[in-house]
Amino acid sequence: MGSLKLRGLLFFLLILGLFFFAGCADTPDEVVDGAVDEEEVVEEVEVDTAEDTGTLLFVADGEERAREGMNSKESWVMSFDHIYVTLSDMIAYQTDPPYDTDQGWDIEYQVAVELPGKYTVDLAQPDADPVVVGEVAQAPAGHYNALSWIVARADSGPSEGYSILFIGTAEKDGEVIDFRLGIEFEVAYLGGDFVGDVRKGILEPGASAEVEMTFHLDHLFGRDDRPLDDSMNLEAFGFGPLAELADDGSVEADLAYLETVLDSETYDILVDVLTHFAHVGEGHCLAEFVE
Amino acid sequence: MTLYDRTVSLALRMAVVPAALLIMIFQAQEVMAHGVELEYHESNAIEIIARYDTGEPMAEAQVAVFAPGSPAEPWLTGLSDESGRFYFVPDPQMPGLWEVQVRQAGHGGLIRVEVGETGENGDTPPAVGGFTFAQRMLMTAAVTWGLIGTALFFSRRKH
Repeated sequence: MGSLKLRGLLFFLLILGLFFFAGCADTPDEVVDGAVDEEEVVEEVEVDTAEDTGTLLFVADGEERAREGMNSKESWVMSFDHIYVTLSDMIAYQTDPPYDTDQGWDIEYQVAVELPGKYTVDLAQPDADPVVVGEVAQAPAGHYNALSWIVARADSGPSEGYSILFIGTAEKDGEVIDFRLGIEFEVAYLGGDFVGDVRKGILEPGASAEVEMTFHLDHLFGRDDRPLDDSMNLEAFGFGPLAELADDGSVEADLAYLETVLDSETYDILVDVLTHFAHVGEGHCLAEFVE
Repeated sequence: MTLYDRTVSLALRMAVVPAALLIMIFQAQEVMAHGVELEYHESNAIEIIARYDTGEPMAEAQVAVFAPGSPAEPWLTGLSDESGRFYFVPDPQMPGLWEVQVRQAGHGGLIRVEVGETGENGDTPPAVGGFTFAQRMLMTAAVTWGLIGTALFFSRRKH
């Protein structure tokens, strides 16, 4: 009988010891799937009152070059009547640890706020500094430090069939060319925190904040304050290839047309520009063509 | 996908040298100064190295340092040096994630530095009790064996 008690005690101590040390082990890291459904994630955030929320503005900016004009890398003085950009699938994220593009496309987030729908904005308008694409009221307060969106083809309107449409005038040495350049490709972008002279995306309760999709026109047309062999200009399409196609002071082109008339190297540069054309402020984005 | 060659690359490391460098500078000034009180403190500085993907340093770029919990207002601003380097000493009383933004001519980047309780350079906190998994398993086995031995010892005395 005593032996049985001791065996029972032995078994009890053994189990106790195993449980004790098992408790000392680290809790396994929680596996967070970046592809978690957005609604599922938002449900985890308790937003009981309006005091926990604010208005999140999705804005787009082509910077001064879009509104005031610019010089291309070949010193064409360009001004824009319209720069239509169509945007869809816009989602702002609160991420902790903060998302960085080095992590790739798998973004882990705690809050995701989507602006549903497809919108076409004109970055060339003087008051587009920046232009408000849309807003989400009662968005959870916090720091929105990542942003994804798609530059998508417009279904209707002045840029129908194009994701981006540039309309303007270029002038050089007395020659004036009216141009119209359409981009058909759709591109998905994912960027991290806004980089700029102010911080953006910080939404205080009861206030409003902006998350910004920024488009750098110098990546497309280059800039003449740097040498032509500067790495930026080597990567830029410029306006020269369009000028060579101009007839009677005007040129209308889109990617389908340019693929047939440009040499492959020049055409590839133009297509490649689309992967580094968009930013979050001055912050780099990942880019992927949408099939 | 092609990354734009002007993409900014930011790197950081703990700077051991700057503390000694500061000492040398202050000592040299002490000889020439009149009515000036100088002192130095050794501390661990964070070194930010900013350059473009081409390898070109971001010389004299604008740098803004944001302390944990204050993402809107910079804790410190300055310029990088000719080699794209910038040094700062975070307030040890403000542990957490420090953010450093470096910008130049329309290009910029942001890097984060974990300072304080979880260690610099984003070191992960030590395991519970400071033991590795293998160490814990060895301890578990040893203690369990000890428990068994103790029980067997008392069991033999009963006989």
